[in-house]
Amino acid sequence: MDQPIWLTFLVAFIFMNVLLIGMAYMTWYERKVLAAMQDRVGPNRTGPKGLLQPIADGIKLLGKEDLIPANADKVVFYFAPLVVFVVAITRVAVIPFGNITISIFGQTINLWITDLNVGALFLLAFGSLGVYGIILGGYASANRYSLLGGLRSAAQVVSYEIILGLSLVGIFLLSSSLSIRTIMEQQTRDLIFALGPLTLTLPNWFILSQPLAFVIFFLAAVAETNRAPFDLPEAETELVSGFHTEYSAFRFSFYFLGEYINMIIVSLFAAVLFLGGTDGPGADRFWGIGILWLLFKVIVFLFFYIWLRGTLPRFRYDQLMGIAWKVLLPLVLVNVLITALIRLIGNGQLRF
Amino acid sequence: MAWNLLFFYLLGGISLLAAIGMVVAKNPVHSAIFLVLTLFNTAGIFVMLGAEFLAAAQVIVYAGAVLVLMLFFLMLIDPQNLPERGGGHPVQRIIGPLLGVILLLEVAAAIANRAVSGTTGNATPENIAFVGGSTQAFGNLIFTQYLFTFEVVSLVLLIGVVGAIVLALPERLGERLSTISLGHPRGTDAALPEGTGAAVPVTRADRQATAALEATREVILVRDPDAYTEVKSR
Repeated sequence: MDQPIWLTFLVAFIFMNVLLIGMAYMTWYERKVLAAMQDRVGPNRTGPKGLLQPIADGIKLLGKEDLIPANADKVVFYFAPLVVFVVAITRVAVIPFGNITISIFGQTINLWITDLNVGALFLLAFGSLGVYGIILGGYASANRYSLLGGLRSAAQVVSYEIILGLSLVGIFLLSSSLSIRTIMEQQTRDLIFALGPLTLTLPNWFILSQPLAFVIFFLAAVAETNRAPFDLPEAETELVSGFHTEYSAFRFSFYFLGEYINMIIVSLFAAVLFLGGTDGPGADRFWGIGILWLLFKVIVFLFFYIWLRGTLPRFRYDQLMGIAWKVLLPLVLVNVLITALIRLIGNGQLRF
Repeated sequence: MAWNLLFFYLLGGISLLAAIGMVVAKNPVHSAIFLVLTLFNTAGIFVMLGAEFLAAAQVIVYAGAVLVLMLFFLMLIDPQNLPERGGGHPVQRIIGPLLGVILLLEVAAAIANRAVSGTTGNATPENIAFVGGSTQAFGNLIFTQYLFTFEVVSLVLLIGVVGAIVLALPERLGERLSTISLGHPRGTDAALPEGTGAAVPVTRADRQATAALEATREVILVRDPDAYTEVKSR
């Protein structure tokens, strides 16, 4: 279990760089999928199949002029995009890419950075910190549209954060743990349904025992990452581009990076909590296959993100809040109640 | 060990400096940023003490709370018109520092009276590892020994929520449904009597006022914005 600290730093360094490259190719993936949905070709000029497009975009953004509005609150304006980016990338620390230690070059390496006792709460906590970058950016720009975008984002995140947290309570109850590694490990077991003569053996993925929670988690995650159809903080039709109207060049790119990294993190989060993580056929034979399964699940989840963006129009602001408080919150509370009851009956602590 | 000490002084130092900054900063938004920084660094110290759950709860609860605080600043305070330093009512200027000094003395007295040689509780690292971690130990305590206190605190919070809803409730629910839009150029119409724009209740008087118009073209009266999008021809 224990490994020297330099090795942990090395693993963290690799994870972060993989995440950054993944983010760059996430933009390529999104543009290609959207193009296919809208019957276009998508990026195809830079490199084969447009594969070098993300790199060209990155260089372009770095080369642009960095503008700061005259009335801006300068220090806050400088740091706000960094908050979004740093907080987003820190969240990868508690996500395990496999449940075993591997041996390379005589070193045993953990496939996770840290196995925090409250890993799931850590992810939620840092998710709620990210919104500071957005609201501070909106405030510091000294622009009415930016401020409105920031305010919207704050209200949206405060509402959907509750739902995101509550949708996971069912899993915590079933697995009696907040540690993501433990939760992932429990999903490699079998779930056996016995209906008379028929027995059905399924993997114990929490999407099967918590389907409602998964749907609610997905909706709340879309809202939490400010993505269409819940991208009210940057609604172009009403707010120019919301909280990042005044941002340009690499400050803008930090917001952009933060948003996409958050999407990838949320997908990883869903994969390890609901979809069995690295579990899949052949995953117990070699750790690499487990990582490929995890990657596959993340890509499917990201595809849903893009699918939503490609098909649904943006919600109106009061509809967004109405869905959160009047539909999703009661549903998720009922889910918690039922799960707790079933858990009590299963433990034999409640008899009729 | 030396690393632990270094990180402790780093976290503690930043949280102290940020706490000073929070009091000194003139702009309330800057104060809020410093407050978050203080709370975040305190959470870091909790992690170093092995209380991960407390740290996560601190960040989740206070991040949301300070965010709402910041919303109040942004919506209620004019940044061009902040009060001057040292202003305010004379009574405030005396009582404020006085309360601060009393609080400081209290904390100093608590530290001075700390029972260094007292008995330690049963929350030793071995016991915590035995129940499976600090979260489990914390949960065991809160739902057995301190259950009554826990329920009382929940009740107090519930009363707060109910109170907020009561305060935000309109005086009479029935009369609040109100958006009205008229005719096909959506929104107000110059041909209508004054005051029949948006946000006026749909009343019998409105219907009578629009009755003449209805003869000439289609007029739509709706009670809420959702009905507005469904234009049905009669």
